[in-house]
Amino acid sequence: MELEQIQALWDEMSAKVDNQNILTDKLIIDMTQERYRNKISKISKYESIGAIVCFIAAIGILVNLSQLDTWYLLATGLFSAGYLILIPVMVLRSIIRLKSVNILKNNLKQTITDFTKRRKHFLFMQRLGIYLNFLLMFVSLPVIVKLMDGKDLFESDTDVWYWYIPIMAVFLILFSRWGYGHYSRMSESAGNLLKELDG
Amino acid sequence: MSKEEAFINAIKKNEGIIYKITSVYSNSKDEQKDLYQEIVYQLWKSFDSFKGKSKFSTWMYRVALNTSIAHINKGKKRINPVSMDFQLLTIPDENDTLTAERLSILYAHIKLLNAVEKGLILLFLEGKSYEEIATITGFSKTNVGTRLGRIKNKLRFQINK
Repeated sequence: MELEQIQALWDEMSAKVDNQNILTDKLIIDMTQERYRNKISKISKYESIGAIVCFIAAIGILVNLSQLDTWYLLATGLFSAGYLILIPVMVLRSIIRLKSVNILKNNLKQTITDFTKRRKHFLFMQRLGIYLNFLLMFVSLPVIVKLMDGKDLFESDTDVWYWYIPIMAVFLILFSRWGYGHYSRMSESAGNLLKELDG
Repeated sequence: MSKEEAFINAIKKNEGIIYKITSVYSNSKDEQKDLYQEIVYQLWKSFDSFKGKSKFSTWMYRVALNTSIAHINKGKKRINPVSMDFQLLTIPDENDTLTAERLSILYAHIKLLNAVEKGLILLFLEGKSYEEIATITGFSKTNVGTRLGRIKNKLRFQINK
């Protein structure tokens, strides 16, 4: 098929499409309303639920801070609470930034550039979270044991380290491998989109 | 005329544009409906900002193409399933087998192009001048020309392979 034939074919199709009347007045108005109603549900459900769980855990630690009666338990408690507040806030912020690209004013080139940059930032935050979870796994354990069981893990004779660390490590490694692969693919596709601009 | 009436008239007059853009940027009828609805919503949202400096269709191409790019960026999962029922015309028209076959080949090959190339070739096939394409996409006029030359060759090569 030569270019002239492609153009003729497109024009023929265009003539048909331009004369079709799919939309009624009601349908157009419904479309605008429908989207408006569903707007909130678009803000990532899973990340929001995860953030709420983290905030509840952080509040739980902060409310019981007085039970953490040594400097190292207090330090691990504050770190865990800080982590549980900060990371979800940063992830949610990156999602909001991703969703606030001005597609109404930008041209195609700006849209692609903005989206790709913000998407890469979002993916970086997600990846950072995966790595920091390993740190949280160690740091939060003494806090959890102290608050749940009243024991100081550093002083009491306990075997919790022996089973908790391996189980959590296996779980986290599997989860991280899945997450890393997933985000790497997304990151690559975001990078490809940006490359298209240079092409 | 109220804002609502003006919007409805403008959309009805140009609904073919939305149809063609969604056809190129989606891979299934459901996805196409979802994108179609999203474009109408975005156009409504920004209708106030349309100052009439450019042609309505030029503004519409820009918003629709940007929305399509944003749609790709959402990833493969359907974030907002369409609950509204409307039928999109089946292109190619089955009454003309030869045209149908050729159109389906053309669509398949346009879909193989990347997001930027799809937008450029669509605007070109729609008869837009290099200047209009440059305004819509943000590329310079010369760059539009160079890119289109490459895309045309690529498309020709793909189809005739």
